[in-house]
Amino acid sequence: MKLYSISIHHKGGTKANLLKSAYDLSSFSFFQRSSVQEFMTFTSALIVERTSQGSRASVKEQEYLCHVYVRNDNLSAVVIADTEYPQRVCFTLLDKVLEEFSRQVDSIEWPSGNPDTINYKALDIHLSKYQNPKEADAMTKVQAELDETKIILHNTMESLLERGEKLDDLVAKSEHLGNQSKAFYKTARKQN
Amino acid sequence: VKDVIIKPDAPSSLLLDKHADYIAAYGSKKDDYEYTLSEYLRMSGIYWGLTVMDLMAQLPRMNRPEIVDFIKSCQHECGGLSASIGHDPHLLYTLSAVQILCLYDSVDALDVDKVVEYIKGLQQEDGSFAGDKWGEIDTRFSFCAVATLALLGKMDKINVDKAVEFILSCMNFDGGFGCRPGSESHAGQIYCCAGFLSLTGQLHQVNADLLGWWLCERQLPSGGLNGRPEKLPDVCYSWWVLASLKIIGRIHWIDKAKLRSFILACQDEETGGFADRPGDMVDPFHTLFGIAGLSLLGDEQIKPVNPVLCMPEDVLQRVRLQPDILS
Amino acid sequence: EVDVLVQRVVKDITNAFKRNPNIDEIGVIPCPEARYNRSPIVLVENKLGVESWCVKFLLPYVHNKLLLYRQRKHWLEREALADITCTLLLLNPDFTTAWNVRKELLQCGVLNPEKDLYLGQLALTKFPKSPETWIHRRWVLQQILGQCSAADRSKKRQQGDAERGDAEQGGAERGDTERGDAERSQQLSEHLARTLHQEMKVCSDAACRYPSNYNAWSHRIWVLQHMGQGNVKVLHDELSSMRLWVSMHVSDHSGFHYRQFLLKALITELSQTPASTSSPQQRCSTAPSSSHLHHSQANGELSEGEAATDEEWQLSANTVLQLFHQEMELCSDLIQSFPGHETLWSHRRHVFYLWHHW
Ligand SMILES: CC(C)=CCC/C(C)=C/CC/C(C)=C/CC/C(C)=C/COP(=O)(O)OP(=O)(O)O
Repeated sequence: MKLYSISIHHKGGTKANLLKSAYDLSSFSFFQRSSVQEFMTFTSALIVERTSQGSRASVKEQEYLCHVYVRNDNLSAVVIADTEYPQRVCFTLLDKVLEEFSRQVDSIEWPSGNPDTINYKALDIHLSKYQNPKEADAMTKVQAELDETKIILHNTMESLLERGEKLDDLVAKSEHLGNQSKAFYKTARKQN
Repeated sequence: VKDVIIKPDAPSSLLLDKHADYIAAYGSKKDDYEYTLSEYLRMSGIYWGLTVMDLMAQLPRMNRPEIVDFIKSCQHECGGLSASIGHDPHLLYTLSAVQILCLYDSVDALDVDKVVEYIKGLQQEDGSFAGDKWGEIDTRFSFCAVATLALLGKMDKINVDKAVEFILSCMNFDGGFGCRPGSESHAGQIYCCAGFLSLTGQLHQVNADLLGWWLCERQLPSGGLNGRPEKLPDVCYSWWVLASLKIIGRIHWIDKAKLRSFILACQDEETGGFADRPGDMVDPFHTLFGIAGLSLLGDEQIKPVNPVLCMPEDVLQRVRLQPDILS
Repeated sequence: EVDVLVQRVVKDITNAFKRNPNIDEIGVIPCPEARYNRSPIVLVENKLGVESWCVKFLLPYVHNKLLLYRQRKHWLEREALADITCTLLLLNPDFTTAWNVRKELLQCGVLNPEKDLYLGQLALTKFPKSPETWIHRRWVLQQILGQCSAADRSKKRQQGDAERGDAEQGGAERGDTERGDAERSQQLSEHLARTLHQEMKVCSDAACRYPSNYNAWSHRIWVLQHMGQGNVKVLHDELSSMRLWVSMHVSDHSGFHYRQFLLKALITELSQTPASTSSPQQRCSTAPSSSHLHHSQANGELSEGEAATDEEWQLSANTVLQLFHQEMELCSDLIQSFPGHETLWSHRRHVFYLWHHW
């Protein structure tokens, strides 16, 4: 049971703007961590961009589940977990983090801010506290609050894409992915 | 549930010609890095390739004299065979070598008495078998020992009663078997133990209903089978699980149509061959178990396969070996 | 040209290990092309990385070198053999024959067992399932166990000799050897305890790197069966340290199976407690312990000594009951918190089974 990353974005007209993120990549092999981190950031942004305003979704990608919440005010957050981690707890975490963030950071900063300029420090703490969902004490409380039928489930990343669009192409085109990460993506796919 | 999603555009018909081409070409990439990486198991690799070719009635495409020569040069002083030239002998590769020679009806290419001596020498006091002279014990090796001896018609050369006793000591409360006494049940080990009990005429010792239940619980919503609870499905488990079910007479307990569509979805339409799961890289191992699984499911384009030895039934008829099956 | 390059890389790897004895992980760095004038071997924060471009040259080279040696076509010095098998196994740890070459080097004293356990541990950081690596570990551990019991035997023999020689030689010298022996046997058992502890760590790490890692967990069971024989404290410690682990890995069937193994082993041990906790003399008089106890109780013919053990038996029965209750509680709690896991239900079934057959 593992949470790998949590990130906060502002969903703009076409692009998602990354505001803050935290990672726990200790379970990945050391030399892959930087590439894995780039991919998680890339994927999170892509998911925010392809999720409509005021909705919640979970996207399955291999052995990972990405949970996203895009609020009506376009403030969004994504958490990447393994398939064992309870979905319900992830959405509680997203609600809570966005609530706290919007209280601490003025909405004027959302469209153009970046991780260096935004002053919000709690993300790392949340990520580590929620590693054990039972300790996070969210298990029982949330059950009632969240209507799970409203969460859209995508079985692959591809189902977020438009007709004719390919994940491989998006990866190849991305400016945020370094060459090493692109090489890593090529070798990681299809092999087992 | 941990499972895969089969995409609508996944292959849904059997691409036999592609698979035959894939296997025929596999051996010609000998300088390949991947080929070097897998040299430590080459003898089994050849067995996988030849068996799947034979099941598809394409065996003549393979280079028989070269392969028989290769096997000869893998027999060691002690009688055992190694995976390849210069590697050390082991029961795993001794079985594969004998299986290949049975396909080619040329078992006499080996010094059979020495093979038997080798196997006999690896049996331990408690009836178990070590895989080689270094002493690792595993129910897989018990299977390799009796399967090889059965193919050679020399089962009487070991202490069968003791060997059976050891296998039964690896039976678990869920009806399954693990690699040693006290180890977790695992579909691969179950195949070895069920096959072992079949070859030694002891299938009445399994609790077929209990074991059959555990085995058919391996089927997931995608239709594929896993090897243990909450693991992903994998084409090779369509063999280990399905063959075990067949041996204990419970194959009708799974959803055959769904399993068939899972196996077909693991084909690679471009390269030929089967992968462990849809979309992954193909290899000869999964190609054999994909085809052999389809054969057990009754596909008529493929020769009938024997569930105990994973060889074509016609080959076993030739060597006059008919292992027991529960009905 | 390639040979020169590769020889240098093998040397770089050997040197990296000499320079840093604390390397704790290996890995391949995705990097399609060589960078000018730079070794493909990278060492950062105790992690050893090999750039991917060079693996294609490196592996076939060490592979062929070893096989030529094995076919007696090309001689290799022991040092070279150790280096080449090391590189080969870090890249391809299921190359059985390379482990066997190291077994031979171990047998003639060129390598030491700890070094090989360490090499295996590193290989497992990249290949956590590698069956041959686990198999080799068990062989090495058996060597260590063999050495320890040989030392034990020779100690006993010496003691016997000393006692026999006592009459002639006088007591002073004997006192010295005895103290030395006691120290050595203390060291030995500490060494074994450390090795056992280290093995548990290696298993845990591998279990975290690959879910439901059959080989890691069955190795862990093997270690307890061969090195922890009847040690109730070790079993208790394992059971309690596994509690958090399984709660965080609720679909890891192997992890839960390991708990079932621990429970069963503990119950077996506790059911024999009167015998195993009493002094050796007592143990002899009450053996075979449990069956004898039940029998005499049933017949209502308790002697004085047995009355005392009856109390102890009651005590351990309570401990066992408590174990069952705690396990059921853990089960219920996890099933409620994490619905839909086959593993949890199968664990529950197994615990009931153990209870029923107790
Ligand atoms: C004649 C034939 C077909 C075979 C010869 C007999 C042998 C060697 C059968 C091997 C059966 C087998 C697959 C045993 C399982 C070995 C094992 C304990 C693997 C552990 O693997 P996991 O850790 O579960 O790995 P996966 O997650 O990849 O399944």
